[in-house]
Amino acid sequence: MADIEQLVESLAADTTEVRPAPHPFALALKWVGAGAAYLVVSLIVSGLRPDLDHALQNPLYIAELVALLLIFLATAFSAALLAFPDMHQKAALAYSPVALFVLFVLLMLAAWHADSPPAPLPVHSWQCTLSIILVSLLPGAWTFYAMRKYASTHYQWAGSIAVLSAFSIGALWLRLHEVNDSIHHVLLWHYLPMLAVSLFGLWLGKKLLKW
Amino acid sequence: MTEQTANLEALMRQSLQGDKQAYAELLRETARMLRPYLSNRLSFDSEVEDVLQEILISIHKARHTYDGERPYKPWVYAIARFRLQDYLRMHYADQLRHAVDIADVENNLHEDVTESDISYESISGEVEKLLPKKQATILRLMHHDGYTAKETAEKLGMTESAVKVAAHRAYKVLREKLER
Repeated sequence: MADIEQLVESLAADTTEVRPAPHPFALALKWVGAGAAYLVVSLIVSGLRPDLDHALQNPLYIAELVALLLIFLATAFSAALLAFPDMHQKAALAYSPVALFVLFVLLMLAAWHADSPPAPLPVHSWQCTLSIILVSLLPGAWTFYAMRKYASTHYQWAGSIAVLSAFSIGALWLRLHEVNDSIHHVLLWHYLPMLAVSLFGLWLGKKLLKW
Repeated sequence: MTEQTANLEALMRQSLQGDKQAYAELLRETARMLRPYLSNRLSFDSEVEDVLQEILISIHKARHTYDGERPYKPWVYAIARFRLQDYLRMHYADQLRHAVDIADVENNLHEDVTESDISYESISGEVEKLLPKKQATILRLMHHDGYTAKETAEKLGMTESAVKVAAHRAYKVLREKLER
């Protein structure tokens, strides 16, 4: 009891005026803005796929891009909420990416079903995964850096979501850059690695977001 | 919203503006509020005090994540739960690290600790009479000559688990016959 009183006194003596953290929605909008800018710059540097007009005539391709964009938005907002100890008391919103991932899986199954006869496989394979990871590194590092300023009590989940948010930027970039209609290739080398990446995020969250 | 909760939020708002007295009052109230929560989940008073200290320090470190606009209690309980889980995880990990595998000690147990009221000598006649030769030899080696299961296995050219199974069956037969 005496120890607690002593601690209270020392913490009170130590306190000064504190500027409260920005609202998580403001944080998320900042991250989304930065991510969007980064995506645009990456596309300007690397170039859009030359057959984009043709690809955009495929409703499933458009749906895939929209779903990826929604995942990017949802994970950015979720990561911002998860950076706060109480998730800013919006737990349902913090877990919203789960529903979007389920929708995304259903969409991919529909695209797979519709890919008949299958589009030719591109000559490359794992290079796509590597490219997505390389493009995702900067937004990933930035998101973790930003999240470390707060106090996540769900650091593993927060790490996983942050990594997926960055990965979705890389995945969007590649779908807008690469000339490729093979859903088999996209599933195998673009989206399946998301599972491994999300597991890696759990570990990274534990290492970088624990406080 | 109760008056007490509103009071905590007001205290936190004042604390964020640098009011040391309000902050001390807030931490005291928080400690009072959390003590029963921790007491219900931890066995010893010393643990409660340790975790409570950790929680108060965490509140101090994370106070910038509270804006004074939303309810205070869910925020503080989120931190309390987090620190409690952290403590329990470390506590149990520590216990596991210091735990001894039963397989490591059983070979050093020369006596049957669960059957201490009956000695081998007192039933050696029955052992030889009631059990097949191999089972009787195993019991003699383990309980009279002091061999471990592993050593008995080596001596008889059996596997260690076969020795344990044979000994177990022998105990069962002896228990059934001697309890009649």
